[in-house]
This record gives sequence, C-alpha cells and structure tokens, in this order.
Amino acid sequence: MADERESIPADELLDALGDYVTRANASPRVRKTLAGWSCRIHVTATDEDASYTLVIDTGTAAPVTEGLVGTPDLVIRGHSFDLAEIFWGDANPVSNYMQGAITTQGRAEDVMRLDAMAMFVFLGQ
Amino acid sequence: MTEPVRLNRELSQSGATAISTGLAFAAINFLAIAQLLQNVDARLAWIPVVLAGVVMLAVRGVFAELDGMRPSAAGIRVWLAQAMNGRVALVITLTYMTTVVLVVAADAYIIGEAVAWALQASQAVAIGLVALLLALATWINLRGIKLAGRAEQLATFTAVVLTLLVGVVAILHPSTDGTTPVGTTGQSGWVQAFVLGIFIYVGFEWVTTNSEEVTRPAIIPRAMLMALGILAVSWAVFSVAMGVTLDNADLTSAYPQLLVAQYALGQGGMLLMLAVTALTAVNTFNGGFITLSRFMYALAREGTLPRRLSTLNDRAVPSVAVVVLGVSSLVLAIVVAVSGSFAVMVSVGAALETGIYASAAYVVWRLRRREPDAARPYRARGGRPLALTLVVVFALLTVVAATSVGATTSAAPLLVVLGFAVVATAYVLLVVPRLERREAEELAARRAARAAQRAARRDDA
Repeated sequence: MADERESIPADELLDALGDYVTRANASPRVRKTLAGWSCRIHVTATDEDASYTLVIDTGTAAPVTEGLVGTPDLVIRGHSFDLAEIFWGDANPVSNYMQGAITTQGRAEDVMRLDAMAMFVFLGQ
Repeated sequence: MTEPVRLNRELSQSGATAISTGLAFAAINFLAIAQLLQNVDARLAWIPVVLAGVVMLAVRGVFAELDGMRPSAAGIRVWLAQAMNGRVALVITLTYMTTVVLVVAADAYIIGEAVAWALQASQAVAIGLVALLLALATWINLRGIKLAGRAEQLATFTAVVLTLLVGVVAILHPSTDGTTPVGTTGQSGWVQAFVLGIFIYVGFEWVTTNSEEVTRPAIIPRAMLMALGILAVSWAVFSVAMGVTLDNADLTSAYPQLLVAQYALGQGGMLLMLAVTALTAVNTFNGGFITLSRFMYALAREGTLPRRLSTLNDRAVPSVAVVVLGVSSLVLAIVVAVSGSFAVMVSVGAALETGIYASAAYVVWRLRRREPDAARPYRARGGRPLALTLVVVFALLTVVAATSVGATTSAAPLLVVLGFAVVATAYVLLVVPRLERREAEELAARRAARAAQRAARRDDA
C-alpha cells in the first residue's frame, strides 16, 4: 500500500499546512471552541526531507515555520501523502492515526483537538 | 525506529504508576474481595490475591510488548486489528468498552449504597444519590474539567494508604462483636477465588492509553509492574482484614469495606472508609469518562460508530459520547440497585477482562509469528509458548467467571456477556458496513476532486 502512495514535495506540503492554518484562523468555531488550547506541534514527513513547526496559541495558529523549532507538545510523523491528506481535509487525523498511517507522540487530548480543528474547518461542524 | 524526542508535557514514572494503580483501585474491588472470601478461608485469602498478581505479571508482559510495538491511545483497537479479522477485532473492542461502563456504574452504585447506609436512608435515597453522582460526573466532564496529574496521584496515594491502614488495624483488632468471622467456615472454591483475585487487578493495563505521553519506553512497563506490586500488597492485606472482621451476612452487603472500618475503628473509621470509597470513584469517573468518551469520538471519526458521537461542545468535549456514557452507566446502576445483582456485575467484569487478556495474549502469539523481526522495545518472557498458555488459561477463566457468582454456579453473568457480545456483533455486521461504505465513498470523492485540482494546478504551472 505504501508503495502506491505518491510522495508530496516539501513545498506542496508547506502550502497545504499554510492553507490549513489560514482556514483554521478564519473559522469562528475553531476560535471559540479551541480558545483554551495552546500547543506546539512538530510535523515530520518520513519519506521527504520536510519538517515543520505549527504553533497554536489559545486557539489561534501562528504562521508555519520550516524545521523543528522549540520543545513540542505533540509530534506527528507520517508519509507526506498521509500528512498532506490531513491538511487538505481529505482524510481526518484520527482515522489516519487509528489506521497507523501516522504516528504521534504527546497527549491524546492534543491529537483530538487537532482532529477537531480539521473537523470544524472542513466539515463546518 | 524513530528517536524519541523531549516533550513539553511528559508523563513521569510516578504519574504513570499512579494512573495504572488508580484505574485498578476501584470501589468494585471491595465487592470482589467479599466474594472471594465466600470461596476460601479468610486467613488464606491473601493467597489467591498474590497468585493472581503473579499471573498478572505475565499479562503485564503481554501488554508491555504490544504497547512497545505500537504505542497508541487506541491500543487495544489497533493491536487486535493487526492480528485478526477487522470485524472480530471491532466486536471485541466494543464489548471491552462495556467494561468501563460497568465499572463506572458499579462505583456510582457502591457509593450511593454506602452513603445511604451511613445516613440510615432508604434504597430510594441510594438510587437518587447514584443518579445525582452520575449527573455530576457527566456535568463535570461536559465542562471539560479533569483531575490534574498531581491531584490524581494524591487521590490514588491517599486511597491506597488509608485502605492499607484500615486493613492493618482490622487485622490487629479482629471482630469483637460476637459474629463468626468467615475464616472458620472452611470454603474451597479456589478457582473462583483466583478469578476474583484476577479481577482486582483489572484496569492496571489501561495506562497503555497514555503511552504516547512518555519519552522513555520503559516507563509504561515499569509503571504496570509497580502498580501490580502496590495492588497485590494492599488487596492482600485488606482481604485478610475483611475475612477476620466480617461474617458471611456482612460479605453480601454492597459496602463491606465500611463494615470492616466500623468494626476496627468505630464510626470515625467508617466515615474514613466512606471517604476512601469516594476517592476511588473520583479516579474511576475521571479516567473512565475521559478515556471512553475520547475513544468513542475516535471510533465515530473513523466511521465505525455513528457520526453523532463525534459532536463536540464549545469546550471541545465529545458531548454526545459523554452523555451516552453517563446515561448508560445510570441505567445499568439502577438495574443493579433494583435487582440487587451487584455480585453478577463483578462476575461479568471478570469474564470480560479475562476474555480481553486471552485476546491480547493471542495477538502477541500471532504477531510473534507474523512479524518476528519487528522492533520490540519490550519482549514478553516465555515467547509464543507462554502467550499460547495465557490464551488457554484466560479463556478457561472467562468460562469460570461467566458461570459463577460468589461461591455459587450461575448462568447470569454468561447471559449478560453474551447479550453484550450479540448486540456488538449485530451492530458490527449490520450497521458498520453501511457507515464504512459511506466513509469510503466520501473519501474517494474528496481524493478525486483533489487529484483534479492538483492536475489543473500543474497544467497551469
């Protein structure tokens, strides 16, 4: 299965992340429901030389930084395609997590909130 | 393997040990000990407790190996799915989830009965208290309030120490009210006693749901080891204390621990034990509600539970899942209170958990053959032969637990377990395929749209 997935180039993955952040910050539901959530997330593609830092401060996401910056609360690793699918909103983080497509380090509560963010942004819950 | 990194909020060794101990240190264990004493001589009651603890060391090895291979908050779901048919794995997972509902309901019931007894109130008051307690637990969870790590450690530490203290005093000052302690009656249901001994450790393995919060893989196996030691000592002491203090009539009450404390330390002791019982429930409600509601959320997002269960409230709490959990626990607790069948709950819980232990051992046995070279930060001792032995032993113990209540043979637990399994199977066979089909179709549509969008972008470039 892994062989069938195409690798997503680093610049396209960064675009996906950037777009995700913009949409999250534009969502009133994200701002309201995740207002109490602060989290530094390290995202690493296992098949590409691509690592990013996503910082969420009281429900607002800062612009994505290239590289792994600071001590994270949550680490997400996975194939670039699986990661991109999450940030495009095609697959949800929890599904990919349950199926072992991505691995995480950190609190399950943070994984759930990241998933909630995707749900609010893409499903308009 | 990926190198572990430092995390801002790491779970410490003491935190993991407190979680492992606290999840197993439930109020329902007092009832399990009371039932155990209906099967063996009081002065020997510590033997099945310690023996069960020794066997649980092997169970700990099984969970430590699986957790090391695939650390995940959804551990049991992920592990089972790796080693068996997906539908069977889901049936087992859903049946397993009922254990948490069972323990939450049991703890609410025990506290309700205990408080009503302390206040000399009627059973109607007890049921009212159960409803109030579960409503409060549901409300607290909906507000997103949870016990901080240090508070959880303190609650567990206090409950264990006070239980040990009351137990030691009771052993040093046994029954003086003229009753006949159970130690003189000479029962001989050692297998049942052993199964009930296993039950008092149930839940220690749930700490594996926190395995992604640790940065050193050794923390979780070590936490489980320490928890087993703490549980073995505290329950061995309290089982003897209960045996030398209570008579057979006392053992059938829903609050034997209060009677032990009252006989040993008077009214003040009884109130102290009431506080201990409440503390154990705090851990159960905190851990049980949070773990299960998030698990239900994840299954709903995965597409195997109805989508509505993934609804979040404005505090990012899976509100529908929390309410479903609260209502199910309440219904179960009321059924038990009205029917007086709390002893059956203990047997049902024991049967479900021994079944899960057999399943987990099967996964280790299967993965050792299928993925012999996979990285295993922790390897269970005994390899495949011991794993297979555990499958057989725990399958047999499941049968024993499902067909006995206290010292008597009964089909009631078996019927309840089969009821859970039939409902779970029907759901998995009839509803899940529809949900999965819908999820797959939606994913395919999104992927097709994405592929077209990317192709158009490439053409433009």
